[in-house]
Amino acid sequence: MKTVKASGIGNPIDRVEGHLKVTGRAKYASEFSVKNLVYAQGVNSTIAKGRITSIDTSEAEKQKGVLKVITYKNAEKQGTFDKEMPSFGLTTIAPVFQSREVFYYGQYIACVVAETLEQAQYASRLIKVTYEEEIPDIHLEKNKDKAYKPDDQADYSRGDMKAGMQEADVTVEQTYTTPNEHQHPMELHAAIVSWKNGKVKMYANQQILEQATTAIADTFMIPKENVQIITPYIGGGFGSKLRVQRHVIMATMASKMIGRPVQITVTRQQMFTNTTYRQFDEQRMRLGAKNDGSLTALAHHTTSHTAKNLQYYEACGTVSKMLYKTPNNEVTHRLVPLNMQCPASMRAPGEATGSFALESAMDELAWKLKMDPIELRIKNDTQIDLGADKPFSSRLLIECLRIGVDKFGWEKRKMEPGTNKDGNWLIGYGVSAASRRAPYMKTSAKVILKLKEGTVNANVQMDATDIGTGTYTIVAQTVSEYLGIPVENVKVEIGDSEFPVTPGSGGSWGAASYCNGARKACENAIAELKKKQNMAEDEEVAIVDLLERNNLSTFEAEGTAEPSEEYKKHSVFSFGANFTEVWVDKDTGMYRIKRMVNVGSAGKILNPKTAYGQIIGGLTMGAGMVIAEQTKVEPNYGNFITRTLADYHVPVNLDMANIEVVFLPEEDKIANEMGVKGIGELGITSVAASIANAIFNATGKRMRDLPITPEKLIAAEIESDVM
Amino acid sequence: MRPFVYTQAQNPQEALSAATANETAKYLGGGTNLIDLMKEDVERPTELIEVADLKFNEIKPNSRGGFTLGAMANNSDTANHPDIRKNYPLLSMAMLSAATAQIRNMATNGGNLLQRTRCPYFYETSMPCNKRETGTGCGARNGMNALHAIFGWNDHCVAVHPSDMCVALAAIGANVQVQQANGQLRTIDFSDFHRLPGDRPEKDTNLQPGELITAIELPKPVFSDHYYYLKIRERSSYAFALISVAAGLQMQSGTIANAGLAMGGVAHKPWKLTDVEKYLKGKKPSQSTFEEAAELAMKDAKPLEDNKYKVEMGKKAIVRALTQAYERGA
Ligand SMILES: Cc1cc2nc3c(=O)[nH]c(=O)nc-3n(C[C@H](O)[C@H](O)[C@H](O)COP(=O)(O)OP(=O)(O)OC[C@H]3O[C@@H](n4cnc5c(N)ncnc54)[C@H](O)[C@@H]3O)c2cc1C
Ligand code: SF4
Repeated sequence: MKTVKASGIGNPIDRVEGHLKVTGRAKYASEFSVKNLVYAQGVNSTIAKGRITSIDTSEAEKQKGVLKVITYKNAEKQGTFDKEMPSFGLTTIAPVFQSREVFYYGQYIACVVAETLEQAQYASRLIKVTYEEEIPDIHLEKNKDKAYKPDDQADYSRGDMKAGMQEADVTVEQTYTTPNEHQHPMELHAAIVSWKNGKVKMYANQQILEQATTAIADTFMIPKENVQIITPYIGGGFGSKLRVQRHVIMATMASKMIGRPVQITVTRQQMFTNTTYRQFDEQRMRLGAKNDGSLTALAHHTTSHTAKNLQYYEACGTVSKMLYKTPNNEVTHRLVPLNMQCPASMRAPGEATGSFALESAMDELAWKLKMDPIELRIKNDTQIDLGADKPFSSRLLIECLRIGVDKFGWEKRKMEPGTNKDGNWLIGYGVSAASRRAPYMKTSAKVILKLKEGTVNANVQMDATDIGTGTYTIVAQTVSEYLGIPVENVKVEIGDSEFPVTPGSGGSWGAASYCNGARKACENAIAELKKKQNMAEDEEVAIVDLLERNNLSTFEAEGTAEPSEEYKKHSVFSFGANFTEVWVDKDTGMYRIKRMVNVGSAGKILNPKTAYGQIIGGLTMGAGMVIAEQTKVEPNYGNFITRTLADYHVPVNLDMANIEVVFLPEEDKIANEMGVKGIGELGITSVAASIANAIFNATGKRMRDLPITPEKLIAAEIESDVM
Repeated sequence: MRPFVYTQAQNPQEALSAATANETAKYLGGGTNLIDLMKEDVERPTELIEVADLKFNEIKPNSRGGFTLGAMANNSDTANHPDIRKNYPLLSMAMLSAATAQIRNMATNGGNLLQRTRCPYFYETSMPCNKRETGTGCGARNGMNALHAIFGWNDHCVAVHPSDMCVALAAIGANVQVQQANGQLRTIDFSDFHRLPGDRPEKDTNLQPGELITAIELPKPVFSDHYYYLKIRERSSYAFALISVAAGLQMQSGTIANAGLAMGGVAHKPWKLTDVEKYLKGKKPSQSTFEEAAELAMKDAKPLEDNKYKVEMGKKAIVRALTQAYERGA
């Protein structure tokens, strides 16, 4: 294999699609021009529980340009759930307007279709609805008696938790809470749908095309082959675009009913009520350790909520099964059904929130033991995933921590909180360990080679998506590497469900899966061309010579890469360490994140530039969890009271610190042949804990309830064991 | 958004007559608040009268030895004007802490005075809110009120005024000049411009229907050396204040000759601390003086269910703002 030094994998090349994006030529779902297009606007319920008693659409229908108003009265019959409260999976159907019942505030109850967006929006305000209202269940605390175990998650235990706690010299028993949060990708959810002769073609920002086509087909009870989704660019998803949301179904139904292509764009306000969110989690942690720091027991119990008609749980406890060496371990999850929209995945579901609880609790333990929190983590390192009873494919957590110590200047940290001061500022250092599963899945790709005047160009096709992460670039680099041609000669064609199947973008599996799939297609192309010439498999030959010798001007090959037996015998995770310095104002409760250092070990880094972007984004989102992100639920009505980006606060540039990102050189060949692991979610994992731990180190206040706002910090007491 | 008529007035008289002719018309400043509220269906004017193009965008010296700010000058130009920065740095500092550069470039001085509360119930048309719809009740009173008032509220409304600029204006003292529907001019003292909810929570100010704000008149500057605007908020920019304090001190041989002090985020109007200003006059600045000032300021605070933190935060903020104001010039 010949390496094209300037553009192959591992090089920090600029994004191949960068120019298209900054010049506005990269087309997103709502930007395609489709003839005869009309616009749909969803109408939301204004109660959280009950049923519609009347819905008067006459005024709306009279308006100029209005073509149709769809409600439960005239909607067509759609697929139904096969049981009462199914798990909310990637292929779950999303039927709309099938009954009068309202399960949550903001549920779609009607859809207005008009010639222009403005007409549709205006008419949607003129629909009059009356309800038979019931008292909704919206308080987790008051409904805890209804908690149940999610179908997909058995309780886990190893050893004897009780004995482990008794054996401990020091224990920590605390509860940590994280609020409802919304993904809020920059690009609004949108779709342009054409239904013609029983077939559906749509431009829709879905992260995973194979699963989305299934969900849409099942909802309309049509064959999956009849659904095509095209989505060349997606402006972020963070999990909210994994599943098919109901606006896609509304627009499809509308197109079917009126026989014209329909565009729908979810408003930012509806991005709160209708496109999922991260649920509230209450995590009860119990830790026990010997005086030397070795853990004797670790329990992680999570209680969160789900919808009344669907179940989704955040696997917060996963991290506590695998991160540390402890003989006695218990992990459970419970769900309380509430009259709220069904929550779903948000960047690093489970890990982002679970690591806040675990890594805060570890810091509390270190403080009680008067031990350096880094040494405590190193003491409990394990090369075996005890939860899965498998060795890790690779685990460089200790190295991440040690290197971070040097980069960050950890030795300057004062053990005693509140002792590092500068004027009105209290200065604190915090650390946390990060881990995130690095899945790898079966992926197919097709490569089309073209030879012209001594130059080879390659097109690679797969139903992968680019959610802003850099898929185009790393796939182009992979093809460049494995075919030995410059990256400029590679054209990446993705975002079409008719291309070879991939697992899509989500769960940090995209990069590893896509690139290995593309690699396999390239390798197959070369192997097939060699075979035609009866050449030895390992004979070195340039792709251009191969095509010439075969007298071919064009050649196609497909390839499918999938996990090896070795992969299945191991636990495959990426690891990292976060270091944070915060400055807390001693009086006002305001604080600044001054510096962050992130050290990661995530296999081979395909492109340091795009990888760096992923980690910075993750750190920023992790900082957001601490600084201000929270969706508040109105206690009397059950609606989200934070409903615009003016009151749902995400970090601004000024909030963000000097960030240093370090990747350890690593190639994990057990993970996959290219040695690549996911990083998309590693960056957000445990960031919140490292900041909260720094705030403790600065102030002596333990902040166990996110976000940490000035009002909470002012009200908090200094821990009793802090001088 | 509901359909509306757009009228571009060539001069104040045209604007005033258009407003007189249509009760449901509204003046359009930068539109940064009004248009948002129209999109949310909270404001439903049938006509927008463009006033941003009128010739009220000057910043010039006035006969009181101070400066006059045109109502249609934008917030950025005002805050960055060399005369304002030099003579009223407290005002500049407060204005530049608001919103973002883009919004400040659009927002006018007149519109800033009339921006409406950020109470979330006010914004959500399916919720009860007396300010938006008389007689529906106050959602926040028995709901979520962490961001609401600790002074001057009643059961009709517990909202706070969101402006930063207005807090500085309250500390400095100012007049608002308005032109009435009949063309006559009227001057309103800044402390009488905004009002407490009383039994008319839908009314934020004492402006009469159709009245057009033409200018804000500032007094002779006295706080140009010792000033500070402290804004406590949930992120470093682009967030409204949880609590803010505008503090100006005029020092004379080591004692406070004059103090200007006001708070934001605590009441239905910018909360001028007249008693505390009086208390500070003639005192020597010290930690204990400032702490006593803070106690005095918060003496009558009546926090709601969720905003008890504001009392402690308010005290800390006052001490800090006064200290910074004093030390800044020292
Ligand atoms: C996301 C966001 C964040 C913000 N953050 C802050 C902040 O942190 N601090 C802060 O102080 N402000 C903040 N603002 C508010 C901003 O300052 C106001 O929106 C702005 O000052 C309003 O000015 P405008 O000219 O755009 O008013 P418009 O929206 O045009 O008008 C507001 C009102 O004033 C009336 N009006 C306008 N001009 C006149 C006139 N000459 N005579 C009579 N009536 C008139 C209009 O009819 C309307 O009722 C924020 C705004 C947004 C959108
Ligand atoms: S506080 Fe005022 S603005 Fe808010 S809900 Fe009550 S009446 Fe409406």
